[in-house]
Amino acid sequence: MASSLTVNNIDGGYGSVRVLHDLSITVDFGETVVLLGSNGNGKSTLLKCITGLIKPDRGEIILNVDGEKTDLVGKTPEEVVTAGISMVPEGRRLFPALTVEENLYLGAYRKFARKKISENLDFVYEIFPRLKERRNQLAGSMSGGEQQMVAVARGIMSDPTILLVDEPSVGLAPNLVSHMIGKIRELKEKKNLTVLMAEQNFNQAIKIADRGYIIVHGEIEFTAASADELANNEMIKQYYLGV
Amino acid sequence: MIELFINAVVAGVLLGGFYAAVALGLSIVFGRLDIVNIAHPAFVIIGSYMAFYVNENFGLDPIVTSFLFLPVFFLLGIVMYRFYYVCFERTGQESLSGLAYFFGIMFIIEVLIILVYGVDYRNVQAPYIGHSLWINDWIPLGDFRVSLPYRMLVPFVVAAVVTGGVYLYLSKTYLGRAILAVSQDRVALQLMGANPIKVKQWAFGIAIATAAIAGALLIVIHPVEPSVGRLYIGRVFAIVILGGMGSISGTFFAALMIGIAETLISTFIGPSWAPAAAYGILLVTLAVRPQGLFGRA
Repeated sequence: MASSLTVNNIDGGYGSVRVLHDLSITVDFGETVVLLGSNGNGKSTLLKCITGLIKPDRGEIILNVDGEKTDLVGKTPEEVVTAGISMVPEGRRLFPALTVEENLYLGAYRKFARKKISENLDFVYEIFPRLKERRNQLAGSMSGGEQQMVAVARGIMSDPTILLVDEPSVGLAPNLVSHMIGKIRELKEKKNLTVLMAEQNFNQAIKIADRGYIIVHGEIEFTAASADELANNEMIKQYYLGV
Repeated sequence: MIELFINAVVAGVLLGGFYAAVALGLSIVFGRLDIVNIAHPAFVIIGSYMAFYVNENFGLDPIVTSFLFLPVFFLLGIVMYRFYYVCFERTGQESLSGLAYFFGIMFIIEVLIILVYGVDYRNVQAPYIGHSLWINDWIPLGDFRVSLPYRMLVPFVVAAVVTGGVYLYLSKTYLGRAILAVSQDRVALQLMGANPIKVKQWAFGIAIATAAIAGALLIVIHPVEPSVGRLYIGRVFAIVILGGMGSISGTFFAALMIGIAETLISTFIGPSWAPAAAYGILLVTLAVRPQGLFGRA
């Protein structure tokens, strides 16, 4: 299934606090698009709008699956998951008192994913052998890096066509960040995913990015057509590298 | 002395099985959904009176009756949770108002039963009530006489089977696992494609359905009057906490423990001390092992 996502002119936020202003992005089939920006600029808010956790005040979010278009605005998170979009939330949000394997099983909650559960479980255990070793351990008792593995693996268990990843690097040691980013690329290639990743860690994110956006105060400040353009952008130097 | 002891332990195990049936629903609702449903024993009493009514008028076995009425209790649970959700949980006032809500429901149930049936004790007829299984007939125990009254044995077996069923349901089905997860992170559960409100509603339905069975077991064990449910509130909460808040197997073993402790105390110290067993064990356990005896973390 070829899925792509188009966000057109959305305004959104929390109650009367508007975070996103007339924001538009596109994620084409098979791409890895990164959303760069430091804390509080609206990356997570945008992902929450796509997943249906927040309803935007204006605009549309078009999911295109093999030419069939659906507006996701107003859909519940359950409906968005059912449509094939899976999110790895910021801060991992595991079920700490359940085992690793129970967390993964819950990832396959949607009807479509249940049919492929054993195949997907084998797949994520192959990508993250550590999780197989620890599958009966409580998720809350694992290290940060392992928890992030569970979160990403759980996102894959719903057998998505589009994977949203919100700040996979938060709270991880630098070598683990690079490992995690590499795993996301591996998953993307093996599962033919379309990936939208929000990140603050610019250096790591551009390693797997095909394209990207820089988001500042809820608006797209810069659209980069390639990873090179991101890397050589003045604004990035200013925001991230302090040059 | 030893004969007395063995009989007390056996009786305690059987009694504990019944306690597990009462605690089962609360283990789901209080242990897993974090909802303090103190009206749970009152639903057990409804189950008893329903079994009584059908038994009196149609002569049907109380336990069979309770299984026939499971869908009704399931719906009752769903309605009760809906109301709780719309009025309290959605607006974030569940902690205090919710407690008052369940208190209110408990009193309303009691008063309704009193209005319909009065305050007299009611009991049921079943072929197994009044007989005992003598272990001596099966195993030669020498001088010891050990008996299992069927009015205790049948409830124990039913409780064990129902507990096992709920345990399997929660650990092996998607909805069951969602019930285990819902209070840990409801947003994450939404991101898995589950609706937390529907999950909780379903869990409440199951919990109240188990109360129907527990009620039938109660009236098989001894006669019931409308306010007898209150005796179980503290004991059952103690069992759920001892069992490790929401661990089904833990709840079952904690219930057996309390059952054994109570019969031992009433045999050797005096029946009036028996209700103290649950709280005594709870106090000591919480001091030493705050997560409960069978808690996971």
